[in-house]
Amino acid sequence: MNSQEKVSIRVDGTVLEVRSGTQLAAALMGEGIVAFRSSPCGDKRGVLCAMGSCYECRAMVDGHRLVRTCLVTVQDGMEITTERPLEKKLLPTVETTDIVEDETGVVVIGSGPAGLSAACVAAELGQDVLLIDESARPGGRIWAHRGQMPAVVRYWIDKADRAGVRRLQGATVIDGEVGWLEAASVISGARTRVRCQKIIVATGARERFLPFPGWTLPGVVGAGALQSLIKGGLDVKGKRYVIAGTGPLLLAVAAIAVSEGAEVILAEQASLLQRVPLAFSLLASPERMREVWQLWKTLRGVEKISSCWPVKAQGNQRVEKVYLKIGNVTRVEEVDGLAVGYGLIPETRVAQGLGCVLEKDGRVKVDRYQRTSVEGVLCAGEPTGIAGSEAALASGQIAGTVAAAGTPSFQLMQKLRRHRGWGIALERTHSLRPDLIRSVVEDVIVCRCEDVVSSSIRGVRSLRQARIQHRIGMGPCQGRVCMPILALGDTLEHDSVRPPWSTCPSPRTELSSTDGH
Amino acid sequence: MSTLRIIVVGGGIVGAACARSLVRRGGQVEIIEAGDGPGLHGATAAGMGHIVVNDAEPAGLQLCLLGRKLWREDAPPMNPDDGFIESGTLWMAEDQHGLDNLSRAADRLATAGVTAHLLEGAALFDAEPALSRDLIGGLQLPQDGVLYAPAAAAALVAESRRLGATIRCRTRVTSVEENRVVFAHGESMVADAIVIASGLDALELCPGSENCIPIHPREGHLAITTRGTCIISHHVVEAGYQKGAQGEEDEAVACAVLPRSTDQLCIGSSRRPRRAGGLDSDLMERIIHRAERFIPGIAGLPIIRKWTGTRAASADGRPLIGLLPGSSSLWVAAGFEGLGITQAPAAAELIAASIFDEEPVIDPTPWDPGRN
Ligand SMILES: Cc1cc2nc3c(=O)[nH]c(=O)nc-3n(C[C@H](O)[C@H](O)[C@H](O)COP(=O)(O)OP(=O)(O)OC[C@H]3O[C@@H](n4cnc5c(N)ncnc54)[C@H](O)[C@@H]3O)c2cc1C
Ligand SMILES: Cc1cc2nc3c(=O)[nH]c(=O)nc-3n(C[C@H](O)[C@H](O)[C@H](O)COP(=O)(O)OP(=O)(O)OC[C@H]3O[C@@H](n4cnc5c(N)ncnc54)[C@H](O)[C@@H]3O)c2cc1C
Ligand code: FES
Repeated sequence: MNSQEKVSIRVDGTVLEVRSGTQLAAALMGEGIVAFRSSPCGDKRGVLCAMGSCYECRAMVDGHRLVRTCLVTVQDGMEITTERPLEKKLLPTVETTDIVEDETGVVVIGSGPAGLSAACVAAELGQDVLLIDESARPGGRIWAHRGQMPAVVRYWIDKADRAGVRRLQGATVIDGEVGWLEAASVISGARTRVRCQKIIVATGARERFLPFPGWTLPGVVGAGALQSLIKGGLDVKGKRYVIAGTGPLLLAVAAIAVSEGAEVILAEQASLLQRVPLAFSLLASPERMREVWQLWKTLRGVEKISSCWPVKAQGNQRVEKVYLKIGNVTRVEEVDGLAVGYGLIPETRVAQGLGCVLEKDGRVKVDRYQRTSVEGVLCAGEPTGIAGSEAALASGQIAGTVAAAGTPSFQLMQKLRRHRGWGIALERTHSLRPDLIRSVVEDVIVCRCEDVVSSSIRGVRSLRQARIQHRIGMGPCQGRVCMPILALGDTLEHDSVRPPWSTCPSPRTELSSTDGH
Repeated sequence: MSTLRIIVVGGGIVGAACARSLVRRGGQVEIIEAGDGPGLHGATAAGMGHIVVNDAEPAGLQLCLLGRKLWREDAPPMNPDDGFIESGTLWMAEDQHGLDNLSRAADRLATAGVTAHLLEGAALFDAEPALSRDLIGGLQLPQDGVLYAPAAAAALVAESRRLGATIRCRTRVTSVEENRVVFAHGESMVADAIVIASGLDALELCPGSENCIPIHPREGHLAITTRGTCIISHHVVEAGYQKGAQGEEDEAVACAVLPRSTDQLCIGSSRRPRRAGGLDSDLMERIIHRAERFIPGIAGLPIIRKWTGTRAASADGRPLIGLLPGSSSLWVAAGFEGLGITQAPAAAELIAASIFDEEPVIDPTPWDPGRN
């Protein structure tokens, strides 16, 4: 694919020439369109997660409402319109688009390291495998790419192709149980129903966000989101970013932003002291050491502040200023963008929808063969705990082997244990500061879909009450952004998941649009 | 008379309404709720919230009328988005036969003093432009409306608490005896009067319930669209929505679409003789298809969430409201099928009148739990 080639898209009637192969959300931002929708109280909103979980980037694409533009690649002639409320008028009749029926032995949901490796192994062991993923391209969050495929992704994709894995990209699994799954196209809503014997859930993780005044301004995005947008084609050359939050992801994001020509300030909430133990784990692993050294070299000229986090974002229609708290002082930075993420949380909605039991801390409960509490459903990678791509690869291979009725090797199991240990160390050294968590009770919007303010839910005793009586999590993201914020308190139960597991466009086309409606 | 100690079992819309009616009369009321809080569980957390005067049955009409009146005039303080909104109901007719039925219903309603307008042809589309032009008419009940029941139950309990009632949550009642309720861990509590308003399973708690009209589950499926999609202003329902309410049929699907104050549509529904559980995607598809026939384009609107709920249907289609047969201290209020939100405040007034020995506003005999 030649990324210098241009395609034309139409946005609210205006024709724009954008680079082919670009992620639609990134293309729009590149054209200066940062506000994608209006919230219930009329605020302008734009991309937050850039990975399909927050629904802030939604727009109408080619006549379909509720398309997540961060999951879509631009196509020549694409028609994008801001979603506007419908009037109380007669609409054209619609007709259901045909459901595609499919059948396979194993369905793998998610094509990150865990999903790809699971699919490969299962197929190599003779299983008929279908890999379903909602992004436009395989690779998951970490291996997402544009244009040239990185070698490691190429390796696994080639391997999957050789093993005969079939892939369904751009489709979200929205419903199902042991025996069948239903997936919906993220652009048209068109349905595919797959009958299958085994299911491997490898849906990865999503970013954890913490609210602060101004976090809803367009231009305030997740840390992982900035990475995704840059990979998706957002030009950051000469732009000034604060990259903030917590965890090793920040370094990777800063590195890609810097190498694409951005000016970066890096703010980590954890203290240096907190992170010292990491150095020891690092020393134990030469591959990791090399990786970190590379990162460090890229970030040589970048200002890095520890024990520091954003307390406010300000701007007219989009973020222009960021207030950083460093000890007792507040520093103000003029920026083009703020990228802030507080680590990763397991993406468990599909597993929950399938009825899998979760651990108290929110991970999917699995045995050492990656089997969940539901017979026939396995789970691999981040839904079972945040531990990085090496652990994901290992757990994926185990799940793939077990799904094909094989026995995973001792070495593989040991490898997984080692990498898990690393994940636990990372999490411990980047645990959130109590004063940061306390700041969430201030008067800020917690649920961005429904504009629910934190002060209005004081005294709420359960996530269920927050949902049913205060509309928290009642919007299209169904609590993916806000429920983890609430769960920081002492609520214990998990939010309930009902179909559709992801909100998607409706699978219909208008009837007879030619007869002069 | 000394203060009556009264226990209300269940914090759904019916229990919450009973609590308020009782505490207003000076009762010392305690609500016992198994779940996290009032209005968060059972049918109340799942129901649509259409406040409707339904004339399927003359006695029921009276209960609906009183319920609607109380929601309109005596609702507890609530966020305006959640409280009663006078949307009106539109019953729709597809053919002459349906219109004739609606016309007869209009006459009956007129006799009962209920405002209703028969709309034919263009008048229907002036009232509700989004309706299919294949429809030939409709019956409009302008004083009907919609209400968000989970919030209404919470508001009723909040008002009761301001008047001195108490609520105990996360406490399950395991059995009830004369003047006593028993909890899971063997602890018990005494009272002068006990109102069993625990929904679907109410009769399982009642001693002597074999002498009552039985209650059966009637499952329903619902879906909610995203914001920005509320293309109707009435609660729109096809004539015959209540079919299946009495359970002769295995499965009934009919169009009922409720306009939400949040610019969303709540789309229903179905009736099957079973308890709610997992979602049946094919059934949901049929419901949306059915709605498309009356409101073109509705099937093209994105759905955020689909869920199921269980209506508690009595064998003869009438709720059980009153003293349990053979008892002197146990009252039951259950079995409201698809009308419990509408009828809750009325049922509460009947229960309170009975406990406090007042003259009831309407004749309570049709709902005597021991009728046969
Ligand atoms: C008028 C109205 C408007 C609403 N608007 C919205 C809205 O805008 N957005 C929104 O998100 N929601 C909306 N809801 C739905 C709401 O969030 C709840 O889902 C609903 O009120 C309660 O449904 P539920 O009891 O099935 O709850 P749930 O919490 O979904 O489930 C209830 C019980 O069923 C069990 N259960 C769930 N799935 C299964 C299964 N597969 N098999 C067996 N048991 C299962 C659960 O474990 C739980 O115990 C609305 C509800 C109403 C009444
Ligand atoms: C799909 C659907 C649509 C509907 N639409 C409408 C409508 O549009 N209009 C309308 O008027 N009605 C409607 N209904 C009917 C209405 O929802 C019910 O009739 C009404 O909510 C019943 O309220 P309730 O308080 O009797 O029962 P519930 O709401 O079921 O409340 C019972 C309460 O008791 C608690 N409880 C149960 N057992 C115990 C125990 N042992 N100890 C302590 N607590 C206990 C439960 O936790 C629950 O909170 C609908 C129902 C469904 C299912
Ligand atoms: S930005 Fe696209 S879903 Fe979050």
